[in-house]
Amino acid sequence: MIRTLFLSSAFGALALAVPALTSAYALQMQHDDMQHEDMKHQDMKHQDMDHGEHDHEAHDHKDHDMEADEAASGELVMLSRTAEIDAALAAGGEPAVAQVLGVVCDFCAKAMNKTFGKREEVAATYVDLDTKTLNLVFRPGQSLDDETIGELVKKAGYRIAAIHRGDALMVESAQGTGAE
Amino acid sequence: MARFIAAIASLICMTSGFMAEPAMARPVSYEGGWTLIEETDRQSTALWVHYTVNPSLSLGWRTEWDRQNDVLFNGPQATWLAKRWFGENYQANLYGFAGAGAIEGINGNPADREAAAFIGAMADWETRRLFASYKARGLEGGTVDGSFMQAARVGFAPYEGDTGDLHTWLMLEIDHRPDADDPVGVTPLVRFFKGAALFEAGWSVTDDEPMLNFQYRF
Repeated sequence: MIRTLFLSSAFGALALAVPALTSAYALQMQHDDMQHEDMKHQDMKHQDMDHGEHDHEAHDHKDHDMEADEAASGELVMLSRTAEIDAALAAGGEPAVAQVLGVVCDFCAKAMNKTFGKREEVAATYVDLDTKTLNLVFRPGQSLDDETIGELVKKAGYRIAAIHRGDALMVESAQGTGAE
Repeated sequence: MARFIAAIASLICMTSGFMAEPAMARPVSYEGGWTLIEETDRQSTALWVHYTVNPSLSLGWRTEWDRQNDVLFNGPQATWLAKRWFGENYQANLYGFAGAGAIEGINGNPADREAAAFIGAMADWETRRLFASYKARGLEGGTVDGSFMQAARVGFAPYEGDTGDLHTWLMLEIDHRPDADDPVGVTPLVRFFKGAALFEAGWSVTDDEPMLNFQYRF
């Protein structure tokens, strides 16, 4: 009986450890999950901000890589390339890249590839685990709006953090890298 | 070992076309997706096929052969994703599941067919390098009335594979079955994961029994 109680306690502790670990990690991740559009700009007052220590001339700009900074801040992302993506781009399709939360394995990729692959507007799709992005190229003259992409990702079981198109998207050309 | 292989073959023959419940990997898929799962641990072998109705619910059929007690369960199973936590680098899930059907003796066990039902819960937390999960289930019905099991698993991926690569995990599962001769089982295993297929192979150091799990997502 004592042994059974001990074992039950041990497993109970393990059972509690998983959500506790998750919660701790979630707290740690809160800042990473913050999106610019989530900030309440209407509550910000310019006169309340402290500009006293800001000296623009004292900044060293010569090593400042604006493009890298923008990419790191999530404002500029790169389209991941595959043969299917390249073919769709060559056909004249417009690309879009969605940053997706919770993408950790190939089952996630399978779910989103299947879900978006069924849409006639989509010419090519690729989920990149390294960049945690859903990469889409639409058929020429077609597209999906952000709300629809968000709904489809939700149907696949995941959640969108941000969607990038146009100038916010960096597309590496065959000759090199450049923003399109 | 020959008896075990023969038993597996006979179960597959008996249950072809049926389905099973999820062990420790994503029991609810994308909306409209089908998943085929085979699970063999030191106690039982199960086949499970499920269809994901929406991102929070899968419905399927489970056939489970309890090799230790020589009983066979057949019945539908529903799995509900109660909560999913998302992060840039992690995912965590809390599931509830339940099933009902018939249980009967096989392989010389004279137990008649009787109604049976089970209920359970699962939780997991996963990054691309770390994994932890817990599962518990209680079953009522037949000669195994009141049986309970729980299992916890931790895992580590020695490298991060990108989309479509072969992903490898080293894992350790500890299960607790109060009614078993050895109530606590320890099973080290390796998980291989590529595309839509997942395969796990391990060995119960407690019972000298293999663990063989397979999952394919259509």
